[in-house]
Amino acid sequence: MLTCDQYLMPDTLGKALAQWAGAPPGSRLVAGATDTLPWARQGRAGDVHVPHLIDVSKVAELQGYEISGGRVRLGAGLVLQRFLDDETLKAHLPCMPCCAVWFADDQIREQATLAGNIVNASPAADGTPPMIAMNGTIELARLEDGEITRRTLPLTQFVTGPGATMRGDDEIVTAVECDSMTGYGGSFEKVGQRRSLVIATVCTACLVKPSPDKMSFQDVRLAIGGIGPVPLRLTHIEDFLKNRPVTREALRQASHMIDGLINSRTRRAYRRSVLSGFIERALEDALADCGVVILSDSFKEAVNA
Amino acid sequence: MPDLEINMIVNGRAVTKPARPHMRLLDYLREELNLTGTKEGCGAGECGSCSVIVDGKLMKSCLMPIAKANGATIETIESLASNGDLNVLQKAFQKTGASQCGYCIPGMVMAATSVLRENPFADLEEIREGLGGNLCRCTGYSKIFEAVEIARDVNNGALPLTALDAPEAGTSYIGNNVHRLDAPGKVTGALRYAGDMVMPGMLHMQVLRSPRAHARILSIDTSAAEAMPGVACVITAANVPGEDGFGVFVHDQPVMARDRVRYIGEAVAAIAAQDLATAMAARDTIKVEYEDLPAVFDPEEAMKEGAPILHDYAGDNIVKHIPIRRGDVEIGFAEADLIVEQTYSTQAVEHAYLEPEAGLAYVDHDGVVTILSPSQNITHHRHMLAKIIDKPIHKVRFIMSPVGGGFGGKEDMIYQGMLALAAMKTGQPVRLVFTREESIVSTAKRHPARITCKMGLKNDGRITAATFQMISDGGAYAMSTEGVMRKAAILSCGPYAIENVKIDTYGVYTNNTPSGAFRTFGAMQAQFATESHLDICAEKLGLDPFEIRRINMMGEGATTHTRQKLGSVSLGAVLEAAEQASGWEAGPPVSRGAQRNDLGKDGNRQPCTLGARIRSPTKPLHEEVA
Repeated sequence: MLTCDQYLMPDTLGKALAQWAGAPPGSRLVAGATDTLPWARQGRAGDVHVPHLIDVSKVAELQGYEISGGRVRLGAGLVLQRFLDDETLKAHLPCMPCCAVWFADDQIREQATLAGNIVNASPAADGTPPMIAMNGTIELARLEDGEITRRTLPLTQFVTGPGATMRGDDEIVTAVECDSMTGYGGSFEKVGQRRSLVIATVCTACLVKPSPDKMSFQDVRLAIGGIGPVPLRLTHIEDFLKNRPVTREALRQASHMIDGLINSRTRRAYRRSVLSGFIERALEDALADCGVVILSDSFKEAVNA
Repeated sequence: MPDLEINMIVNGRAVTKPARPHMRLLDYLREELNLTGTKEGCGAGECGSCSVIVDGKLMKSCLMPIAKANGATIETIESLASNGDLNVLQKAFQKTGASQCGYCIPGMVMAATSVLRENPFADLEEIREGLGGNLCRCTGYSKIFEAVEIARDVNNGALPLTALDAPEAGTSYIGNNVHRLDAPGKVTGALRYAGDMVMPGMLHMQVLRSPRAHARILSIDTSAAEAMPGVACVITAANVPGEDGFGVFVHDQPVMARDRVRYIGEAVAAIAAQDLATAMAARDTIKVEYEDLPAVFDPEEAMKEGAPILHDYAGDNIVKHIPIRRGDVEIGFAEADLIVEQTYSTQAVEHAYLEPEAGLAYVDHDGVVTILSPSQNITHHRHMLAKIIDKPIHKVRFIMSPVGGGFGGKEDMIYQGMLALAAMKTGQPVRLVFTREESIVSTAKRHPARITCKMGLKNDGRITAATFQMISDGGAYAMSTEGVMRKAAILSCGPYAIENVKIDTYGVYTNNTPSGAFRTFGAMQAQFATESHLDICAEKLGLDPFEIRRINMMGEGATTHTRQKLGSVSLGAVLEAAEQASGWEAGPPVSRGAQRNDLGKDGNRQPCTLGARIRSPTKPLHEEVA
């Protein structure tokens, strides 16, 4: 059971930062609180008493999202269900509806935030691979001499290990930013034991932009989670596919470029055997999402002849 | 700890009542507003027993700190039946019988309400997805999905209102569907389980459990807990006035550990206090000095000479050995063309009923010690408790509260004794509600078994002899082990006519969590081995798996391995029905593979997919192929 002396719900970032800076040691920040409450139970952290729980879910500056200059700025308070029901977000972030639908369940997605998922830094986090694939950055704010100062870090640098990030003790995550991916097909794949409320054994996010004739890859984004301490961007596979014709053979070759990628503590052999098929399927789904037909090798030969 | 000012609209009424800052919406609804239709099954967002609607959105109230719900409009299960009349969805649940234990049902009904509000024409896939965060353990999901579809169709006019009526029972209730009489109480959340019950002046119990698998208790210091304000009593084995022992067959388990702990999670001491937080804090002040003893965690190790002994009465650690002999297996094996021997193992399984254990005890005006709990065996518990607390039987009363799922897991009297002792000591009602984690740690599991099966067969598939040895991990206390070993032995060689059998089942003490009753009572482990074995034998003999079973099945008038004469036998009809329903492709198991055509047909279970709501009709996510 989680108990606290005070439960604070600041409504502005200034108040939140001041309360956080002034909170007694051992206090915690929560947004959705969907990770923190189950954490404070027997078998994990046990019964936990914290002095202050500071809930940032009502902070005005953290709400909603903005799109400008080819980037999408997602407020840290944005909950995962919005990726399923907001048409603008769906158009700009085509891999996110699939990611969200596999994330926990409808009920938890109404409360859990993308930023919280990233900052919790689980190696199996569903939200991090898509954001890494979309050149994600994270924005952090702190108080310096009473003024709000902000810094931005690439997500690939921000998450440093299981449960570990570059967030400073006095910082609050204010936003996650990524490329707008209009014109891309998106997909998200996850291996788990059931359809809802399942922690990924492996998850992958993929985005594909086809050439105007829809015959080759113009751009590919691919990232994977659950195979090591931090999610990985697979740039070597992206580079291999760029400008290559969309063929079954290209997908197959790309999906086998996984040497040395598996660094999990457990089930390495399983993850290795899953990963190839998984990358291939993620690419297939992203291609299907933007209406590209994969040429069979025999068809390609026929065209070349 | 200043209280929070909470203002909410709950089921259409304004509520203003302070809350402790750490409360969850679930606690507030249940404890402050007495809306106990919303249940706690796991407390960690996994089961959905606590689903409510917050500002129009389905949410899990166990994951919602109360401050988040401040100012919100809340709908709970209690809001659905106006003036006691079930709404369409609730009637549909009653119609399909979608309410067995009922504990998950309020959450299910709320989730279904939300799905049909989001999309009144939701198809089956969307319904499944929408209910994905809600777990059920006994009703089964099919009846629930069917109910939601009926409600949807009635709401949309595709089905008449009469589709919700009770089916005609005809001339007999037997063989006909009927409305469950208890469904209205379950679909409205009105039914109160033990953890929903409150009494004036009720104390809350917490239990200190052993962190050691096998240790001698040198001392228990409860002085700090006793001195804590708000604590009404602390009890240990020293407070038991009578014969301290319970169990289904052997009374080998003390109410709380006596001098020695035998598994991690065993109760050592219990506290009753004015509120849960005080009871928890007091529990954490109790100091227990342990001296570790050698422990044994594998039943085969426990059977060896020199292994640590758990109970003095059983020097070989064997709770029960059941031997069955028929014919002469040596002769049978000599006649065989093929002998197949394999070892199978099964694991411990938690029952995971959605209602964690809970109980409420009080001493009534006549001095009758009364225990209210979802016990699956109250008469036996009553007799045992009378001896434990040294009272005549008429001064002990057990009331069986609704069982929110049991599956055998609530047959053992593992906490009722502590409640009785605390109620007697304080003179006040005392309630104990297990957390999900406590339930998993401390209660009996399905017996893990290691089974070696040896069969001799003729080339035509006839079994000439079978030996079956099952070694089961009984854990630290006997509980139902004896009965489980009996049933496993009786059913071990399956419904097959075998002239020569040699069967041995052993239940063995170890320092693992006790094993006890669990659906099938040992038959599942035995059948897993025997049926797997038959498939392997079929493969080796080039026979169809159905065929090898038909060749060996007992017929009418057959005598079982335990000399029971069978009057009627339906196995042939069952096999035929299963073969047809599964679209079975005849042939030995080895011939199956790429050409199999039994998958992807009507009535086959499709692979699990997600995204019904984001998949456009022209854009299938995956072709689901075999």
